Amino acid sequence: MSDILELLVSAASSGCIYGLVALSYLVMIRPTGIINFAVGEWAAVGLFAAFFLLTNRWLPLPYALALIAAVAFTGLIGWGTQRIAVRPLVEKGAPILGPILALLGMLAIFRESISLIFGPDPHNLPAPFGLRQVSLGPFAGTPRDFFIIGCTAAVFVGVWLFFERTVWGKAFEAVALNRKAAALMGINLRRVTVAAFVGGAAIAGFAGVLYSLTAPRDFLMGLPLAVQGFSALVVGGVGRVEGAILGGMILALAEQLTARYADQIGIPSGMSLGVPFLLMIVFLLARPTGLLRPKEAAA
Amino acid sequence: MLELKGVSGGYGAANVLADVSLSVGKGESVALLGPNGAGKSTLMAAITGTLVRRGGGILLEGRDLAPLASHDIVDAGVALVPEGRQIFAPMSVRDNLRLGAIRLGARPGHSLEERYAFVFELFPRLKERAGQRGGTLSGGEQQMLAIGRALMSAPRLLLLDEPFLGLAPLIVVEIRRALAALQESGLTILLVEQKIDVALAMTRRAYVMIKGRIALHEESGALARRGDLANLYFALAAKAE
Repeated sequence: MSDILELLVSAASSGCIYGLVALSYLVMIRPTGIINFAVGEWAAVGLFAAFFLLTNRWLPLPYALALIAAVAFTGLIGWGTQRIAVRPLVEKGAPILGPILALLGMLAIFRESISLIFGPDPHNLPAPFGLRQVSLGPFAGTPRDFFIIGCTAAVFVGVWLFFERTVWGKAFEAVALNRKAAALMGINLRRVTVAAFVGGAAIAGFAGVLYSLTAPRDFLMGLPLAVQGFSALVVGGVGRVEGAILGGMILALAEQLTARYADQIGIPSGMSLGVPFLLMIVFLLARPTGLLRPKEAAA
Repeated sequence: MLELKGVSGGYGAANVLADVSLSVGKGESVALLGPNGAGKSTLMAAITGTLVRRGGGILLEGRDLAPLASHDIVDAGVALVPEGRQIFAPMSVRDNLRLGAIRLGARPGHSLEERYAFVFELFPRLKERAGQRGGTLSGGEQQMLAIGRALMSAPRLLLLDEPFLGLAPLIVVEIRRALAALQESGLTILLVEQKIDVALAMTRRAYVMIKGRIALHEESGALARRGDLANLYFALAAKAE
C-alpha cells in the first residue's frame, strides 16, 4: 500500500510538470489559436537560465531570486519570440500554420543555442531541500516532490483566478470565443497576444526549473517535454485551466504505472515512453475535446 | 459628427465598398438601408476598424479614424452592436457588460457602476438575469444584451447593425422604446436596417446602399411617402446597372 502511495506522490510531481507545460500551451492557444511546440525549449531556457544564475562565478544569486529571475527571463524570451515569429505573420494575414511553422524554426534555434552555450552534458539545479524522505499523512515522498506540487498548485490557482475573476482574464476568454466581437469591445488584440506569449513562456520556464529538480537535463530535454505537455492538454481538454492539470496527472500516472508494472504482464517497461502518444491518439479519436469540455461547448 | 468621404474597401482582393460618402450630425439618427449584400455591414466594419480600408476618410468630429485600431476607435467614442448580436455566450450577462466597459477609462466622467445602472434602467430584464449565461437568454434578451454591452463604453456614436433581425414584434417594440430613449438623451445613432418601415419611423434621414455604393439619400419622412417604396431596392438596383 505504501508503495502505491509513494508512486502516487511521484506521479503527482511529474503530472504537475506536464500540467504546467499543458497550461503554457493553453494560455497561448486560447486567444490566438497558435500551437507553439517551442514550449519545451522555453522550459529548457528556464532551466539553463536558473542554472547559470545560481552557479556562475561572477554573481551567483540566492536560490529563490535565481528562480524568479529565470522565469522572468523566459517571459522576456516569449515576448521576443512572438515579436519575431508571430506578430509579423499574423499582421500580414498569414494562415495559422504560418506562425506554427515559424515557431518550430525558433525551437531549433533555442535548442542549438543552449547546446552551444552550455554544451551537451546534462545539468540540474541543486535540490533546495535535500533528498531525504518525508511523510505527509499517509503520503511519502521527497521534499522536492511536495515543493513541485505546492508550486504548481499556486500557479494553477493564480492562473484560474486570473481567468475567472479579473476583467483581463475575461478579455482573454472573449478573444478566444470571438476575436471580432472582442475587438469591437475595445480589447487590444495585439496586447492580448503579447500577454499570452509572455505568460505562456514564463509558465514553461517555471516548468523547466521544476523539471530539472527531478533529474539532470541536457539541451535535448525540450521536445519530449513538449510532447508530454501536449498529450496532457489533449487528454484534459484545450478549453479549461483545470483540464491541463487533470491531463498532466492522468498522463504521469499512466507513465509510472506502465514503468512499474508493465513488465509483470510481459510488456517491456520502456513502453512507458510511448504512453503520451498512445493517450493522445486514443483521445483524439474517442474524445477530441478532452475530458473537460470547453465552456463554449457547454453553453 | 461622423463623416465618410469616398470610403472604399473590402475583404481580400474583392472591393465591396466603392466611394461611399455619408454624414451623421451630432445627436441625429440616420438610417442606412439596403438589400442583403449591399455592403452595409462591411461599411460598419470599415468604420470600426475590423476591415482594412483601401481609400477615403472616416472622420469623427474631424478626427480621422482610418489609421486607428478597433480599440482606439472605441476610445474615440464609437460602439457597434454587431449583426447577429455576437454576445459571449458562455459568460454571464454581467461579465458581457463588464467587457463592454473595458475601455471606459478613456471616457472621462463615467464610472462602471453608473454604466451598469444606465443599462439596467434601460433594460430591466438584464438586471434580473445578471448572473445568467448569455447563451441561455432568449433572442430578444440577447439583443438587449448586445445593445447594453455597446452602451457600457459610454459611446458618443452608436452603430446598430440589423438590431431587429429575427425578433418577435413585442420585443421589437421594447427595443424601439429603449432606442427612442437613447435618441431623446441626445445619442447619435447610425441604424443599419433592411426593414425600411421600421428604420424610417426611427430616423430623420436615410441613405440607401446598392452594390457597395450610396444610391439614394433622402429625408426619412419623404422616403416613407414614396409610392415605389415596396420596390425601392429593385428600382435602385436596376438604375445602378
